[in-house]
Amino acid sequence: MASIFLSNLPRSFWIEPAPPAGRFRVKLVDLVLDSLDEDYPAVKHLLLQLGQRGQPESLLGNSAREGSRVDWILPLDAVEMIQWEAGRIRVHAPGAIQAAERRADVQEVLLKRDILDNFIIDLQNTRVNRANDLLLDNGDGLRLRAVDTGLRALLRRASGGLYHGVHQGELQDWKYVEFLRGDPGAVEAGAGYYHRIERLPAGEIALLSGELPYLHLAELVLLLPIQLAADVLELMAPERQLQVFEELPEGYAVRVLEKMAPDIAADLVGHLSPEDVRRFLNRLPKISGERIVDLLRYPEDSVGGIMTNDVIVVRADWTVAQVRDGLREQLEQPDFVYFIYLVDDEENRRLRGVVTLRNILIARDDQRMEEIMTPYLVTLSPLDSPRQAAYRLINNQLAALPVISQDGRLLGAVTVDAAVNLVAPGSWSAQAPRIFS
Amino acid sequence: MSDVPSTEEDEPLHILGSGVLNGRPRPFHHGIRLNIRGRSVTLRGLKHQPIGLLKWVLVLGPGLIAASAGNDAGGIATYSAAGARYGYDLIWVMILITVSLAVIQEMVARLGAASGRGLLDLIRERFGIGWTMLVVGLILVANTGLVVSEFVGIGAAAELIGLSKYIAVPVAAILLWYLVIFGSYRWVERVFLLMTLVFFAYPVAAILAKPDWGGVARGAFIPTIHFEAGYLLLLVGLIGTTVTPFMQLFQQSSIVEQGVARRHYGPERLDAYFGSVFSNFISVMMIIAAAATLHVAGQMELSSAADAARALEPLVGPAAEVLFAVGLLGASMLAGTVLPLATAYGVSEAFGLPKGVNLDFRRARLFFGLFTAMLVLGAVVSLIPGLPVIRWLLFVQVLNGALLPVLLVFILVLVNDPRLAGELKNSRLNNWLGWGTFTLITAAVIGMLVSQLLGSYLP
Repeated sequence: MASIFLSNLPRSFWIEPAPPAGRFRVKLVDLVLDSLDEDYPAVKHLLLQLGQRGQPESLLGNSAREGSRVDWILPLDAVEMIQWEAGRIRVHAPGAIQAAERRADVQEVLLKRDILDNFIIDLQNTRVNRANDLLLDNGDGLRLRAVDTGLRALLRRASGGLYHGVHQGELQDWKYVEFLRGDPGAVEAGAGYYHRIERLPAGEIALLSGELPYLHLAELVLLLPIQLAADVLELMAPERQLQVFEELPEGYAVRVLEKMAPDIAADLVGHLSPEDVRRFLNRLPKISGERIVDLLRYPEDSVGGIMTNDVIVVRADWTVAQVRDGLREQLEQPDFVYFIYLVDDEENRRLRGVVTLRNILIARDDQRMEEIMTPYLVTLSPLDSPRQAAYRLINNQLAALPVISQDGRLLGAVTVDAAVNLVAPGSWSAQAPRIFS
Repeated sequence: MSDVPSTEEDEPLHILGSGVLNGRPRPFHHGIRLNIRGRSVTLRGLKHQPIGLLKWVLVLGPGLIAASAGNDAGGIATYSAAGARYGYDLIWVMILITVSLAVIQEMVARLGAASGRGLLDLIRERFGIGWTMLVVGLILVANTGLVVSEFVGIGAAAELIGLSKYIAVPVAAILLWYLVIFGSYRWVERVFLLMTLVFFAYPVAAILAKPDWGGVARGAFIPTIHFEAGYLLLLVGLIGTTVTPFMQLFQQSSIVEQGVARRHYGPERLDAYFGSVFSNFISVMMIIAAAATLHVAGQMELSSAADAARALEPLVGPAAEVLFAVGLLGASMLAGTVLPLATAYGVSEAFGLPKGVNLDFRRARLFFGLFTAMLVLGAVVSLIPGLPVIRWLLFVQVLNGALLPVLLVFILVLVNDPRLAGELKNSRLNNWLGWGTFTLITAAVIGMLVSQLLGSYLP
């Protein structure tokens, strides 16, 4: 099976109609892909520009020509014979070449417009590259096989056919690629994408955030299911998070905000303009909105600023059986569940103690929570220094510490995730090196 | 969004008026920031946002420091030469070019915020690989020339304090390479910055030299044109050293790196304007100082760094050479590192190749290769025996000036493309100023080329 690089295709082709008509020259504008359902998508048709005259009218479908600047479509299944390198196409079917309705459809994928020279994501190595050239397989139709990301591809293109070097290691198999257009609006407009990126875990996707421009990153986030998008946003550096969040369409942004951990969501909301905050909070479900607002009260550099208030709270006088039944629903919601906090009643939420999920698993149904709980001795106050709290948490190898107000009300908990973020910022997400600032 | 439960039937959240929300969003970092010829350097992080008078001190102070740090070997040579040769007669060019610089720097900052990409990136996406190669080639030539001139500066500074340049330059090159690759450069950079504070001696020296202020004012606002080849050459050199092409690359990349989004571009505009105005303040003072000392004394031509140092004599007398050497060394080291580093970074980025000092050599060959090659070339060329130092420095600035119109065309087309710049695309006034700048610079460059050609055929 022969392969050919996109850069090796001639810029113009000879079209050879059925005999008496003579051949004529067309300019190759772009190649349009068929559906992206296949791993190696086939080229469906060519976008051409015709010269001023010389084409037999029979070959042109709708001959109402609106000037030569209009692009024309030649479907490859109407072609009898094509020699790519030599630039010869034999077409006999009458009306095979149709005028394109618009210059280019947003939803279609054009090799030159949408892929070549744009950013692609190498899903195997979680790396951002540029599509320096495209490798096409010429067998069962013309199929997109791989992307060349190396310097050699650029030399090939710049040398105008003098240089032919290829390095196998620089070819990225198209099966493990996601391409981006740099326009978050394209996702909403229904443009074609692979959505292969969603197979990666959130942490891996967040690694890309240092390498992609923010518009591309917003586009990428829009390709993800809501929950994954929320997880990815949580893991980005705060500045990036804000840049990306503000590029999301409002409805999508609201849903992402709802799925984010409330502490991170509150930090994010704290950086939005007051008008935006108002709009977002009003569109959020009441319970998520209130959680975020509660957290906004605390200064950023306090325990209150890094705690989450999405914790599971039950009454200390409940039995284990009651808790098991009651928890099922609650467990679907929050991110962090290992501890269950016990309070004397839901109204004033005075913290009594804590049980772990393991405690509940091994306890008998009729035991009451008070009997199996550990009374809490170590607690944090919302205005404590967050660093000290973080070190306490990490040094004691705890998963979380509860935060209570002066009168003993349970306000939330600082989790080990938040503590690690504070103590070792940047270690979790690849920060691009700073050269210019 | 059908699956978002509406809260409209519920009572609205009470908090909205309760003072939980501040009047303005929390910013991420406050700090004392410098804009050194487009590149943004944070001197110190601040916990709280400065307010009132302090805020202005923190805008103006760093601006002035950046102005002194932005002068590199080529700049000092050009400004001193302009002052020595033509007295105050070229100051008007500086006034005009300050406006141009502010407009251009603001444009690329805006382009960076609107697109999230660097200038070479956008040129590639918009104009294709051929044009990108051309621009990359021009930038490589211009920047390598500048790196050579930085090493010339290092050598000259060393000679002023009695060290042989054949020792000082190789040592400096190896040291800079090591510092960048092994990552302690950030700290050393501050030392270089500190050394450039010496250039604050120029405004003081300029005043102490008792210049003819009337002449300065005339020179600033009434264009005087000398019909000789040297004049146009210096004029283009002044333009080239003041609006150097790398400044646009730096400015845009720095905005991108800081994560300025298109919605929050507003304040950056002022930053770009201030940065441009400040960076030219010390330059003008250099011209005045050189004019009031050298030109007045009848020394029209500079032949060595020691001549240029004489402009500082009204302030420090015999210590002028040492003081000048310290400043020159700091400025040259500063630019001598950042230039190769940023060039290698920008080029790798445009080609979609791995970049960054935290990678190993095998993964980022082009990046490390370019960075190392520029340093080596800079050091080696600057050591060629008999290299006419001041002439070379001027020549590189002229080359930069001549390349500027090319880059300017790309910038102006890009910033007018609604697909890239969106709502931040150029206003009509910006376009007028941009194309006006382009026309003036092109005219100056063509005039210079013609006069050089004529000059070599006519006696």
